[in-house]
Amino acid sequence: MNLNYAPEDREFRAATRRWLETNVPTQDLKTLDERKAWHRKLYEAGYVGMLWPREYGGWGATPMRQAIVQDEMARVSAPPPINGLGIGFIGPTIIVHGTEAQKQRYLKKMLTAEEIWCQLYSEPNAGSDLASLKTRAEDQGDHFLVNGQKIWTSSGPIADWGILLARTDPKVAKHRGISCVLLNMRQSGVEVRPLKQITGSSLFSEVFMTNARAEKSDLIGNVNQGWEIAQTTLGYERGSNSLGRVTRYATAFNQLVKATKELKRGGRPLIDDPAVRAKMGRIYADLEVQRYAALRVLSALQKSDSPGAASSITKLSYTEFEKRYYELALEILGPFGQLMVAREEFEEVDTSSGEPGTFATAFLWSRAGTIYSGSSEIQKNIIGERVLGLPKEVRADRLKA
Amino acid sequence: MDFSFSSDQQLLKNSARAFLDEHCKPATVRLLWDDPRGESDTMWKEMAQLGWLGLALPETYGGSGLGMVETAILLEELGRAAYPGPYWPTVLAAGAIEAAGTDAQKKRWLAAIATGDARATLALLDADLDWDPAAMTTRAEKTAKGWALSGTKRFVPWAHVANVLLIPARTPEGPTVFLVDPATAGLTLAPVQGMDLATRWVHLAMDKVAVGPEALLGGPGQAAPLLAGLLRRGAVGAAAEMLGAARRCLDMAVGYAKVREQFGQPIGSFQAIRHKCSEMLLEVENSHSAVYYAAWALDAKAEDAELAASVAKAYVGDASRKVCGEAIQVHGGIGFTWEYDLHIYFKRAKALEPMYGDADYHREQIVRRVAS
Repeated sequence: MNLNYAPEDREFRAATRRWLETNVPTQDLKTLDERKAWHRKLYEAGYVGMLWPREYGGWGATPMRQAIVQDEMARVSAPPPINGLGIGFIGPTIIVHGTEAQKQRYLKKMLTAEEIWCQLYSEPNAGSDLASLKTRAEDQGDHFLVNGQKIWTSSGPIADWGILLARTDPKVAKHRGISCVLLNMRQSGVEVRPLKQITGSSLFSEVFMTNARAEKSDLIGNVNQGWEIAQTTLGYERGSNSLGRVTRYATAFNQLVKATKELKRGGRPLIDDPAVRAKMGRIYADLEVQRYAALRVLSALQKSDSPGAASSITKLSYTEFEKRYYELALEILGPFGQLMVAREEFEEVDTSSGEPGTFATAFLWSRAGTIYSGSSEIQKNIIGERVLGLPKEVRADRLKA
Repeated sequence: MDFSFSSDQQLLKNSARAFLDEHCKPATVRLLWDDPRGESDTMWKEMAQLGWLGLALPETYGGSGLGMVETAILLEELGRAAYPGPYWPTVLAAGAIEAAGTDAQKKRWLAAIATGDARATLALLDADLDWDPAAMTTRAEKTAKGWALSGTKRFVPWAHVANVLLIPARTPEGPTVFLVDPATAGLTLAPVQGMDLATRWVHLAMDKVAVGPEALLGGPGQAAPLLAGLLRRGAVGAAAEMLGAARRCLDMAVGYAKVREQFGQPIGSFQAIRHKCSEMLLEVENSHSAVYYAAWALDAKAEDAELAASVAKAYVGDASRKVCGEAIQVHGGIGFTWEYDLHIYFKRAKALEPMYGDADYHREQIVRRVAS
């Protein structure tokens, strides 16, 4: 055991800090073009696509270096790069399963955010049971004819391309009739409708496909191999945001401390109230444990021990923590915690999963983490079956299959 | 950065597991419940031969010079076995003698502890059960021949088998620690028994207990940092032991859920049980991160070592109670019986929960550090 950062990683952190100090935009990035320009600047500095192999335009860096960059960016609340899903896992899927022509056509423009990507997986009736998806892709010789509806699509309105899971054989068992294909979002058969969330903003969309066209040359892997591809792609970004996430929690905690010194109960600052202190102590202990766990994951990745199903433990841990955290924060802040527009310094936080905003925004966003990317219940199924080796449950669809 | 155990550390863990699986079976623990001493001298001597008692002592005194990470590895395994005996109080006290003792005190005690010929313990709690060293009520008054100690010490672990007691007391100069022979006149030992029959506590009543100047551990009034360090180290060690007990309970629950059938299926196939087991694993893994981070931070003298110790004790205290309790729930009725072994570990975790500062105490320490 040695939890000291390697000297070269400490040096890298210092260099990253210096770069950010001179380059972080001083004003909010308002337009997509401004965000793309910032993304490109980050890419050229070596801070985007860090884990991608160099031959595809990446930087071949370690997960630790990437986590350090994310951490330093969180420290100064730097705007994040865009195209996260593309760079995080669609690109790696193409690298692992794609053809040489697909790699040449798509990867570089994805890295530079010249083309924005979205994921077309979930459907209104296929959430946790993703394999029951209904969107159809019919073989038309040189292309597929795509009909159906997708939901929870991030970056939908700005996406140029999407990675689509669609049914290509309705007659076989549900997992075996799905294909994975790249879909041009800029065509008349694709309609994107923003979906308003409980935060009031629209970071997700519904996507309707009516006789949309996907080229055969854009098929990833073989026909009906889509489920396998979706299951086996591990992505390159595991653990990358682990430190940055905890740093954002800690920044928010400092604002909470400030609030407890300004707000009063019974004529004295909240911070002197034993009940409030007990809550603060609980939050901070929990927060530190998330940090230690993040270091443990990074150390495993460093030694290229694949965390595998154990990454379900990490996801379950921090998303459930985030709910507890912001619930306690809002209890402490009282009605100030309800404000959706920051009026005082201590109300502003950078929510780890969504948009920047107030504690209320963070509180609302914390409800999303335990649903997206496999709900807490799905994570517990995975942990139970694959980590603890508990017997599989008897499921109606398995009985049929 | 490397959060995993080195090969030597893993070897230590494996050999501790193998030894305790053979020599500290649940049946062994049960036999010692009825023993007046409550521990086995044979096991103590074997532990000494394995180098466990001198693990963290310098080689000059027959030790191995290892750190808190290795100690925590052992303590986790001892907790997993619900080992009955004065291992942790002896090792903690030895560390204090090594850190603050005179050459004569070190010569007198450290080698004897490393060889298994002596046991030690420490009396950190006074009459009103306040873990804050500043709240100490036991007094030591200067006499012609040395000092006279008066007061009450409570829940002193394994004092009835100890050869030497570390007793903190208030002097006009400030907090001071004395090394006291338990047979000294004026000192009365009264055993108290909690729900864990494999944990023994003793109440000490002191009425002008006379000790010589050679009993001073460190200078008079200088003991505040020593006491804070003992509490911190004690807390991390207790957290490691609770982690071990929790992991044992988790393993038992998962093993049972795989074989126990109801409604024609193993109960582990039901999400109600599987999800509970997954939540227990989450708590155990987070506890592992907390314990070993804190142990490493103590060894590395990291700037957040004190914070990490409080985080570990607060987090693991709550987590182990939850995990051990849920293990009973997964077992159902059998888990509530005396003859089933689960309660041995459930009670061990519970017995350690209030020791070296409970979760509330450590949460307050955390707030003092990060929100002042």
